[in-house]
Amino acid sequence: MAGLALELGEVAGIVLRSLMVSGAATLLSASWSIPLALRLVLGGEERGKRLVMDLLNSLVGIPTVVVGLILYFLLSRSGPLGQLQLLYTPLAITIGQAILITPFIASLSAEALRSVRERLWETLISLGATEGQAAATVVDEASPGLVTSILLGFSRAVGELGVALMLGGNIRGFTRVMTTAIALEVGRGEFELALALGAILVSLSFLTTLTIRALTREIGWRTLG
Amino acid sequence: MPSVARAVPLFMIVIWLLAALSLTGVYLYQASESRVVRVATTTSLYATGLLDLLSQEFQARYPGFEVRFIAVGSGEALRRAAMGDADLVLVHAPSLEKRYLAEGVLSEGEIIAYNYFVLLGPLEDPADVRGVDVLEALRRIYVAGERGEAVFVSRGDNSGTHVRELILWRLTGLDPSGRPWYIEAGAGMAQTLLIAGERQAYTLSDVGTYLKFRERLPNMGVMVEGGELLMNIYSVYLVRVPGARLEPAQAFMEFLTSEEGQSLIGGYGVEEFGRPLFNPAHGDPDGRLRKAWERLSGL
Repeated sequence: MAGLALELGEVAGIVLRSLMVSGAATLLSASWSIPLALRLVLGGEERGKRLVMDLLNSLVGIPTVVVGLILYFLLSRSGPLGQLQLLYTPLAITIGQAILITPFIASLSAEALRSVRERLWETLISLGATEGQAAATVVDEASPGLVTSILLGFSRAVGELGVALMLGGNIRGFTRVMTTAIALEVGRGEFELALALGAILVSLSFLTTLTIRALTREIGWRTLG
Repeated sequence: MPSVARAVPLFMIVIWLLAALSLTGVYLYQASESRVVRVATTTSLYATGLLDLLSQEFQARYPGFEVRFIAVGSGEALRRAAMGDADLVLVHAPSLEKRYLAEGVLSEGEIIAYNYFVLLGPLEDPADVRGVDVLEALRRIYVAGERGEAVFVSRGDNSGTHVRELILWRLTGLDPSGRPWYIEAGAGMAQTLLIAGERQAYTLSDVGTYLKFRERLPNMGVMVEGGELLMNIYSVYLVRVPGARLEPAQAFMEFLTSEEGQSLIGGYGVEEFGRPLFNPAHGDPDGRLRKAWERLSGL
């Protein structure tokens, strides 16, 4: 057993890589998912909005390995984006996870915005606010919900296996992240080690959530908006 | 949507900045790719830890080269190679290898090592197969299965082990698929062994994974071993698809077949299991392995 046991340094590397890859994926995804949600909820009445919402909601549960497989075909050497040579790189995992959690973040953000909008919009307008001021207030009020949706997106990204395995390939010291390391250790019969890694994954996810929660509460999104 | 445009810029700008920053970070983290060998390998070879040892020794000898293993089933490894996403493959499914050789995906390879598959089963041995020939054993399992006295767990994942199991069933002339006693796990060797242990079922395993799991399978034992039909031959092939990096791939392949690489393979596992997990091919001097491979690939 000792021969295969992961060294501490290697585990630390895997943990940091997981946080970096999935953190970047979450931010990347938020950079388009939140504007999408804002447009869906505050962007005026348009046809097809309901359809987009339904589509997003149904894509929330898409199996991660399906997303991984679709992107594999795109990024493969013989695929349309093969020239970029992104397959088996951390960046490929980041992009894949960003796409994976887009419906998740967009859908949850839209829900947060919608409930605030329904509660406040008429009142704000009747009090003489312009549409712009009313929208700004809605975004302010919904900001805790937006943060939550981003954090949940991060949880999904850091805990998913299919994309990381298909696009990253679980290469030691390069694209091995928490979930692929866990899957490998299970395959190796090192169940205890896999469980320990799982515990680290959950605690880290929890710590990240607490930290970001505290940070955003401290700074206060209100002052940013 | 002018209203939204004014409502959000500040915190979205923060997110955009952070996203750009972290993407740059991920990108900078990626090393240059020129002397990297991408090896698509069968899981059973990788999971033992042998390949990490071999690549460490290789990189110590040839600084500047880097070996990256993508550990998947033999079927997936060959498919990825065909799509141009591997420079070298390490596989153990002669009949699949033959097909990809014919398609021109692989150039002539070398046998690097072999060991044996083992037929495992519950110690009570309800189908009475202990020590008999493997095809006879499967026939008895079929009969016992139909009587409701035995269960068989199949990998069901197009891996090298699964491919061999299907060949063996075909040679018996019996087709177990769809029978209630024939469980298709669709899982790796580790999970399949655990299912077999839980159900007290028969299953086919590579010997390395079994040795690793033996202590978790208290009521299971080796029923049938040895013989050419259970020979498990590992081969390395250069991938001939455009984009494959030939030079570093050749260097690693030469290392695997060198005396040094072969003795590393032959010594691996002694410390942990008291016996080696793989028999090195040593260039197959008497052609015995090649002949066995030919016969197995034609089955």
